[in-house]
Amino acid sequence: MIKTIRVGMGSCGIAAGADEVLEKLREKTSIKIEAVGCIGFCYAEPLVEIITKDSSVFYRNVKPTNKNILDILDLSEEGRLNIPKKRLEKGLTKVLHLAGRVDPLSIEEYMQNNGFEALRKTSALSPEDVVEEVKISGLRGRGGGGFPTGLKWSFLANKKADTKVLICNADEGDPGAFMDRSLMESVPYQILEGMLIAAYATGAHKLFIYCRAEYPLAIKHLKYAIKKIETHELNVIHGKKISIIIKEGAGAFVCGEETALIASLEGKRGTPRFRPPFPTDSGWNQFPTLINNVETFANIPMIINEGGENYAKIGTEKSKGTKLFALAGDLKYPGLIEVPMGTTLAEIVFDVGGAKKEEVKAVQIGGPSGGCIPVELFDTPIDYDSLTSLGAIMGSGGLIVIGSNRCMVETARYFLDFTHRESCGKCTFCRIGTKRMFETLERITEGNGKVEDLTFLREMGDKVKKASLCGLGQTAPNPVLATLRYFIDEYNEHVYNSNCPTLECSALVDVEIDKNGCIECGLCIKNCAVNAISDDFVIDNNICTRCNSCIEVCPKNVISRTHKGEGYYSE
Amino acid sequence: MNKIKFKIDGKSVEVEQGKTILYAAKQVGVEIPTLCHNEKISRTTSCFVCVVKDLKTGKYLPSCSACPTEGMEVDVSSKEVQDVRKTALNLLLSEHSGDCEAPCTVACPAHASVEEYVRAGKNGDFLKSLKIIKERIPLPLSIGRVCPRFCEQDCRRNIHDKAVAINDFKRFAADMYYDEYMEELPELTGKKVAIIGGGPGGLGSAYFLRLKGIECTIFEKMPKPGGMLRYGIPEYRLPKNILDKEIKHFEKMGIEIKCNVELDKDIYLKSLKKDFDAVLIAVGSWKPSSMRCEGENLADGGISWLEQIARADWTGENPGKTIVIGGGNTAMDCLRTSVRLGSNDVSCFYRRTEKEMPAEDIEIEEAKEEGVNFCFLTAPLALRKDKNKLILTCQKMKLGEPDASGRKRPIPIPNSEYDVEADTVISAIGQKTIAPKDCKTNRWGDVDATEANMKMYENVFAAGDCVSGPATVVEAVATAFTAAEGIASFFKNQDYKAPYTINVSRGHWNSLGVDDLVYLKELKKGDRVPQRLIDIDKRTTTMQEVSATFTAEELKREGERCIECSCTAKGDCKLKEYSEDYNASPEAIKGDKFKSGYDNRHPEIIHDREKCIKCGVCIKICSEVVNESLLGLKDRGFTAKVGTAMDRVLPEFCKDCGACVEECPVGALAWKNKTS
Repeated sequence: MIKTIRVGMGSCGIAAGADEVLEKLREKTSIKIEAVGCIGFCYAEPLVEIITKDSSVFYRNVKPTNKNILDILDLSEEGRLNIPKKRLEKGLTKVLHLAGRVDPLSIEEYMQNNGFEALRKTSALSPEDVVEEVKISGLRGRGGGGFPTGLKWSFLANKKADTKVLICNADEGDPGAFMDRSLMESVPYQILEGMLIAAYATGAHKLFIYCRAEYPLAIKHLKYAIKKIETHELNVIHGKKISIIIKEGAGAFVCGEETALIASLEGKRGTPRFRPPFPTDSGWNQFPTLINNVETFANIPMIINEGGENYAKIGTEKSKGTKLFALAGDLKYPGLIEVPMGTTLAEIVFDVGGAKKEEVKAVQIGGPSGGCIPVELFDTPIDYDSLTSLGAIMGSGGLIVIGSNRCMVETARYFLDFTHRESCGKCTFCRIGTKRMFETLERITEGNGKVEDLTFLREMGDKVKKASLCGLGQTAPNPVLATLRYFIDEYNEHVYNSNCPTLECSALVDVEIDKNGCIECGLCIKNCAVNAISDDFVIDNNICTRCNSCIEVCPKNVISRTHKGEGYYSE
Repeated sequence: MNKIKFKIDGKSVEVEQGKTILYAAKQVGVEIPTLCHNEKISRTTSCFVCVVKDLKTGKYLPSCSACPTEGMEVDVSSKEVQDVRKTALNLLLSEHSGDCEAPCTVACPAHASVEEYVRAGKNGDFLKSLKIIKERIPLPLSIGRVCPRFCEQDCRRNIHDKAVAINDFKRFAADMYYDEYMEELPELTGKKVAIIGGGPGGLGSAYFLRLKGIECTIFEKMPKPGGMLRYGIPEYRLPKNILDKEIKHFEKMGIEIKCNVELDKDIYLKSLKKDFDAVLIAVGSWKPSSMRCEGENLADGGISWLEQIARADWTGENPGKTIVIGGGNTAMDCLRTSVRLGSNDVSCFYRRTEKEMPAEDIEIEEAKEEGVNFCFLTAPLALRKDKNKLILTCQKMKLGEPDASGRKRPIPIPNSEYDVEADTVISAIGQKTIAPKDCKTNRWGDVDATEANMKMYENVFAAGDCVSGPATVVEAVATAFTAAEGIASFFKNQDYKAPYTINVSRGHWNSLGVDDLVYLKELKKGDRVPQRLIDIDKRTTTMQEVSATFTAEELKREGERCIECSCTAKGDCKLKEYSEDYNASPEAIKGDKFKSGYDNRHPEIIHDREKCIKCGVCIKICSEVVNESLLGLKDRGFTAKVGTAMDRVLPEFCKDCGACVEECPVGALAWKNKTS
């Protein structure tokens, strides 16, 4: 007997067609259907959970067809999501424990699940005790910097000021990262509870959430949740009613940097400034200001509920708790994961992500300004300090698996393409240095690199890192420097031999049809957008744009990329 | 106020809390360069030229924002720190556009401030114009007539129609104001220099040396001074009474000229070296080059032939049917002089085509007008005498691949030989230097002097054609300038080296389009004023000067045709100043430049965004000082630019202020009206 049906209606689910599935379900049954958040199995969306009296079954990639829907309602054996065993073993769902399991908008449901218990507990504690508890937990900022959260709180708490400001940084700008979005969509109350606890502990009564406007669903959920909190009068801290204001950002990557974020929040251009003074001394409109990331706030209720000491039992010596990662790239199970600090990269990539060892070359961790870590170093445990020592950063949690068929020079070029465009344009090294590095990488991937270019990249990269004002410039060269460090052979091959070993750099490859296996079906000719393939199945590489359409469409797999000038039919 | 104790380059410094490292350094006399720091506004921190290093953390800090902490040790001047600053400057230069200096000035071998003297002339202040000219050109009466006008070849006005008639400003200014003009002469220092040769190199050196208080005596082997100006350049191009006037000015300046004194005959380097504090060799390049053909001694050497006529005050017998071999300016001088001496059959034989001729176009054109025949692709093979006539055997040529000079190489056509008859054959294919005794020579046979300071050895220097080989008057005075600097430094026991300068350039006009330039004002339409010449009858029968001096009104028109290409911040650009201090170069880092365009819609102010270094000073000046907030930074990354909201024109009411213009460290925001 089905008790409840849950449909994953996060942005990821909706993008995969979950709303149509929900519609169809409503059409076919009168059983209670809950639109819930995301449980992180992106590869399996749309996801439907059928809860019976004594069990729960997930259905994956559900299609909104009558048959599929009826099958599900019949608890069919087919289409069930088999959560990989290793993923269950290695993952640890703490922050995400309510994500996808409750109606994100229902304050009642949140409360039924121990929600606002932590906030209630704090009112019995002194603000100092709350700060102390967070200190004991060892929680470090989840936005990427890894600054001890409790210490940061104490800075603001110790400030004597009439107005103190608290900002939740929800300007998740790394391409491919969606930890914060998922949290805001799935467990908005949990974040708000964390913020209210922080307000209690620090004495802040002006609260902002700075969220990118590209997250409409997250903003909608937060706005709804704020209203609910107000009607339940949970927003009364130290006897004062406080309002939480959502400010939508226009999507500039640099606005994730705290001083740029504050400038944007003040109505100015989002441009960083030199620190010190740090925001806790002089932030929003010169008031002492605390900025924490979404995930950081989402950790707070758990710390208060379980106690800092218990929280600190998870993780490594210097990095406590769990961490969310947006797992993407060349692996079997992309999605949102939560693992304890100290989990190794190998466990994340192979066990949780299901990637095959021999098919992986590296991971890019920390977003576009993080660094590449080669597969040889995958026994590295995830914590702030060990990642930094390898030339990468924890970052906010983007983790991209790079397959062995990827070119690392092209990968570096790709990431720098993003960061150099997203520089705010203020500082010399960040604005021009990254641009010149990007141009150099472009030249190399086109086979026009020179030996001096590698020295230039190293030296300029080092200077851009050291002589930039904010985190963007200070980390932008990371992918270049890390790939130079671990994959110098690939650079050399491009520079010395104008050759891309992985055949990914389009300027250095031809596309050829192996006539021996060709059945002359003509699909390639039909699919070629630029008419580069002749009637007798020869590709004119002067016309070909290397779009790969013919390769993908060939039923016999006889079309492939070859090293320029080395193909079957080359002279 | 709390005091912070820290160290700058190991030196203990104490400063009030909250003050920056930049401020503290200044207090103890350590200047740190910065482009974006401005006392009038809040801290900006963008250029990173003010970088210093925190020795404890190894971090680079922008000293304009970073405040010292107790016990901090800051490195402000090590090689590493200087290298970071240099890289910052190189990066800024790599995206910087504009023209530090106008192309005319860059092209001028003497680097005269062309735009400035043209502007002074345009405004009618020719005395000022002359003063600017004479800073680099000591012979404006002569050069104003005979200069091949390197400046005009590179003039940006060529994009639209024809170059501004730049050289005519020199000629007018000198013609009209030479009498009333006198340099301010410093007291003599007691140092004395002997100058061998009274041509442009010698005269020029004497001039610049005298301006440094150094006494000069010129020894000239000819009866009169002037060198090539007197004995090479014909009367109809440079009347000798004008040259006399020019040389008289040198005498007025107290420069002694002793004529009919020849080196290695009347005087000797060995004793001059002892009797004077320095000696300068400027003997020119006078020996006609060999044609390397049989019977060539039957031909007259071009420069010797001219000299002989010059000595007779530009008179001589009718040379009869004349053939001049060669395509340079000396050949043109011989041809046109032959016409004036009465010959009605004058031909130029040149082994390439008109396109490759080194002579000035105007010379070729005027020679043609005067009836000179041109036989191109013709080379001499042999010369013989038959009774009273000379018989020149020639060979036809065709053009092949370009040679080292970039001109197409002439290749003989087999069996194309033929004979021509002539009364006079003049070989004008170039000249060689005859180096005096005790002068080392280079592989071309010219006097060997160090280019940077024109020093040969000990206290002997050299200048002019004898160093460069046959060149132009303006090139000779350019080496004279360097030689004078070289000698003056030598007297201070220093080796002169021209200061390192950089020049950002938009490029040569022939690689640019009309839209690639920045126009301060609407371009004044108008063709170049044509050069007025005397009647053709007079040109073919007399030695009268061919061209007339422009009028002041004509020059005003010409001046208005000038686009005023050079940077509005010339002499006041911090980027250039620091780049030169730190040996940065616009060539060091190459890459795209962002075409952000310029805005000249405001009546008084030009906003040239491509010069902008995005320091944001203008933005803050406008918002924090003027309280207007008319400017802001727009877009991101490499395409960031300063602009107005909705790209509206700066309102006219802001013109009274101009605070942004005054504080712009480069020439991005500037007054349209150039005053200097």
